[in-house]
Amino acid sequence: MTYLGHVWSHLRKDLHLEWRSRDSINGMLFFSLLVVVVFSLAFDPTAAMSREIAGGILWVALLFAATTALNQSWTRELRNRVLEAQRMAPSPPSALFLGKALANFLFVALVEAVLAPLFVVFYDLHALGQGWLLWVVMPLGTWALVCNGTFFAALGLRTRNREMLLPLILFPISIPALLGMIQATTAILSGEFEPGLWIRLLIAYNLAFTTACLLLFETALNAE
Amino acid sequence: MPRSRILGPVGVAWFGLTLAAIIYATRMALVVAPTDALQGNVFRIIFYHVPHSMLSLVWPYVNLAASLGFLYWQRRDPLKALAADALAISAAEVTVVYGSICLLTGMLWGKVEWGIWWTWDYRLTSMLVLWLLYVAYLMLRKLSSTGQTQTLAAVLSVFAGIDVPIVYMSIRWWRTQHPSPIFFSGDPESKMDPSMMPAFLWNLSAWAAWGVFLLTMRYLLERRRQDNEQDAALKAIEDSLELTR
Amino acid sequence: MKLSWMFGPSLEQRHLLYVYVAVWVIQGGYAAWLAWQWRQASKAAQVDETMPSVRREDY
Repeated sequence: MTYLGHVWSHLRKDLHLEWRSRDSINGMLFFSLLVVVVFSLAFDPTAAMSREIAGGILWVALLFAATTALNQSWTRELRNRVLEAQRMAPSPPSALFLGKALANFLFVALVEAVLAPLFVVFYDLHALGQGWLLWVVMPLGTWALVCNGTFFAALGLRTRNREMLLPLILFPISIPALLGMIQATTAILSGEFEPGLWIRLLIAYNLAFTTACLLLFETALNAE
Repeated sequence: MPRSRILGPVGVAWFGLTLAAIIYATRMALVVAPTDALQGNVFRIIFYHVPHSMLSLVWPYVNLAASLGFLYWQRRDPLKALAADALAISAAEVTVVYGSICLLTGMLWGKVEWGIWWTWDYRLTSMLVLWLLYVAYLMLRKLSSTGQTQTLAAVLSVFAGIDVPIVYMSIRWWRTQHPSPIFFSGDPESKMDPSMMPAFLWNLSAWAAWGVFLLTMRYLLERRRQDNEQDAALKAIEDSLELTR
Repeated sequence: MKLSWMFGPSLEQRHLLYVYVAVWVIQGGYAAWLAWQWRQASKAAQVDETMPSVRREDY
């Protein structure tokens, strides 16, 4: 089987498992909604101000929501000693990682698709800059969070206090990406400055860290 | 592990000389260096702050090199890998110590100089992120189950190493796009009068020597702990063999 | 004492003092922790060496 064939098998497996219970997605959706409502109460911005802060609030909400789901995505590998089986399987370990990261990406993208209209409603948003660029920024930003998040969730698999460790490691490493996605979104919404620099930063960040994750996953998986 | 006979006396001598250098450098900073025309005496903080900041950018690279060494030697030469791992954790702890001092002294100086404890300019933010990354590294080491700890920490170290330059550049772009309302006029070193250089250089050398001392001591401590673990494991094996007879 | 100008109520003087004290406290504290851990590790090593494992001759 080709490499992409392996990735596709892993992806299908995760999508199937998630579809049966839909735990992660429901949890993420509701969590993000709550975060949006709470921030809305906390800041109650005017229309002009909301364009400045909506980018930040959106990505913070997604960051928290994704973090809650990322740990869960690996725990299903721990049940029934599936992880040992994965290690012994002839498929390359990075294919396991990529399949899982893509699955997580799809779940978070689904949450975004529901969240974005809510944002427009709560904050009375319309983009003053080039709105179509949001279709570029959202996937790039989501991949940055999900790729590193999936990797670090795997790192923390056998640690005590796994839920606490993921944010501790993920947030500092993601700071450049967070800066990029928030600045790009704010630039597009407010139209006050150019998002180009931040989009380039996101692309560079994604390239660098996706490569690092793919290369180092086997080491992390076999870290015994 | 054979105990080197020269290490003891050299270590004591290094410690003594370093301590003397620190005291001398402190004296230079407080007494000998002339009072700054603009800032008065409070600028003397930089004699402690700047050396620590500069050094706290060096130890992370020691950690990165050691982690890469560990990953390389892990399957090829496990004994060298153990030594590399000991160096990695030592460098990480020293980074956190020097980074904490940099942040703390910087905030104390900033309050006096600019009237604010903190601002999100690129240098301060990058230093904060560096500090966060290495605290996360130490937490990962503490929380992960034994056997895995070294490899996972080495992997995290590689990620942190990739991240630090990206953080620096990204925040620099951020802060030059939107200049912060408080204007920072470049490097403090550029303001330094040549008459202050001796005090500065003495402090830099003394704290660098102290850092090397801390690094070495922590490394030896870690090696000793590794030895103890190996001895305990060997003893457990021996005891289990005895029981079967 | 030549350093008497350092001690005083103004913000500059207080912060200057805090900085110098904080550095010594943090560095000294870390060094002290290292020394304490070194003692613990040495004691553990000694315990391993002096405690004999069961020998076959004792049976």
